Amino acid sequence: MNDDYLWDASGPPDPDIQRLERLLGRLRGTRNAGEFRVKADAADLAVVRWTSARFLAPALAAAAAIVMMVGATWSTVRVASPPSTFSYWPVAAIEGRPRIGSTALAGSGRLAVGQTLVTDAVSRARVEVGTIGEVTVDPDSRVRLVSTRDGHHRFALASGTLRAVITAPPGQFVVETPSATAIDLGCAYTLHVDEDGSGLLRVTAGWVSLQLAARESFVPAGASARIDSALGPGTPRYDDEDREYQDAIDTFDFDEDPGRRASALRALLARTHSGDAVTLWHLLSRVGEPDRAAVADALADQVAIPAGVTRDQVLRLDRDALDAWWNALGLGDATWWRKWRLENW
Amino acid sequence: MDHVLELPRVPVVTWRREPETLAETIRAVASGDQDAFARLYADYVRLVHAIVLGRVPRRDVDDLVQDVFLTAYVRVRELRDPAAFGGWIAAIARNRATDYLRQSPRQEPLPEEVAGGDPIEAETLAVLDVVRKLPDAYRETLLMRLVEGMSGNEIAERTGLTPASVRVNLHRGMKLLRQRLGWTGHE
Repeated sequence: MNDDYLWDASGPPDPDIQRLERLLGRLRGTRNAGEFRVKADAADLAVVRWTSARFLAPALAAAAAIVMMVGATWSTVRVASPPSTFSYWPVAAIEGRPRIGSTALAGSGRLAVGQTLVTDAVSRARVEVGTIGEVTVDPDSRVRLVSTRDGHHRFALASGTLRAVITAPPGQFVVETPSATAIDLGCAYTLHVDEDGSGLLRVTAGWVSLQLAARESFVPAGASARIDSALGPGTPRYDDEDREYQDAIDTFDFDEDPGRRASALRALLARTHSGDAVTLWHLLSRVGEPDRAAVADALADQVAIPAGVTRDQVLRLDRDALDAWWNALGLGDATWWRKWRLENW
Repeated sequence: MDHVLELPRVPVVTWRREPETLAETIRAVASGDQDAFARLYADYVRLVHAIVLGRVPRRDVDDLVQDVFLTAYVRVRELRDPAAFGGWIAAIARNRATDYLRQSPRQEPLPEEVAGGDPIEAETLAVLDVVRKLPDAYRETLLMRLVEGMSGNEIAERTGLTPASVRVNLHRGMKLLRQRLGWTGHE
């Protein structure tokens, strides 16, 4: 067995490694939850939020050092580096009193880089994302502005729900969650994340790339993808598929029992009909080698293998062959996406 | 291949900064630029989390990760070679974990983790316990891959190790882990 799957989750899936990913992925840190924040107060001095009194003493000492350091450098920085035009996003309360940090928002305010916007059960907020769109933050949500500059805007959704409408070219708006990163490819979508890092992406216009390491899902308009707290993006499916079909996808993606996963795959292949091509195309690279031919045949029933691509290339997961077949689905051209990613990531 | 539209050996979720760009980020952090620090944190928190998780009880991991970044923030101007940031913050993480264990009142190398009755949780902790007993190089690399979801290229980029070294660590570490878990179906 080669090490491709161990290296970057490419190549044929290794059952042992998948099992370890499922188990150990539960231990992933809450890196996007904003627990650690260096944020500016009114005097532009850094303060640090700590979650445990156990480390309070060294924290205070270090925080004092930060205050001295930042205080010492601030006058220089202020002269040399005027604030960026995009150093914050305008925020408006839609309902209730959302908070930015510890400050309740009355009407409107500003969300600066590093700050977290928190809505309670009865509040909602609207955030203007530079000049490229807007994000509505639903009740019981926590979102942090990670960074923002021309052409690159990055949010972190720790928990809750946001709805984004972005009109910029693809790739300019990115939302991190504890278990996946959503990259806008010119679209509108809803992204929900539970406290444990699991969640759901639902796309209403355009398409979205959902990634965790080398595991990636392309979710077109009218489709959704679940997010597992350990494994990341699940296989996309159209929302008008029936519950049984969607449950089978979830079982195949996330169940730890190989028997149930195999049974779910059989159910998926037995029930394919028009509209399932996106799901089947993703399954090609997610099933083991013994099942790949059946998936390829099911996909070929929906969308013929393009000219110049052989079945053998597909079964070997030849990248160009898979890209060509994706292009044949009529949802977008893989070439520009690959080019964009090489230039930007 | 568990990915789509993916170039082999190209990290997917990594900001592939050229060295000079990382240097600019480090300089910006040293000048108190919080946006730059947020980017640095986002890029390196998985590396730090994996190192700390491999050494200390889970209940204290998040606090220690914060502690590591706070230390890095305070001392970043001491860093002479920005390209070495990954190795530098990794060393801070290891030292902070060692300090924690030294100061632990029970003087235990690593307190036992206790599962709360959930069988999956119990198996997770059992596997973590085995991983923690692997040699440092294998343990850290495997935790970055299996816990944090980093690709081999990303691990190399963040740690400063060569891709070849990372590949060896992953391969040998996985082989040893399989043996110790009694999973002999592969390799």
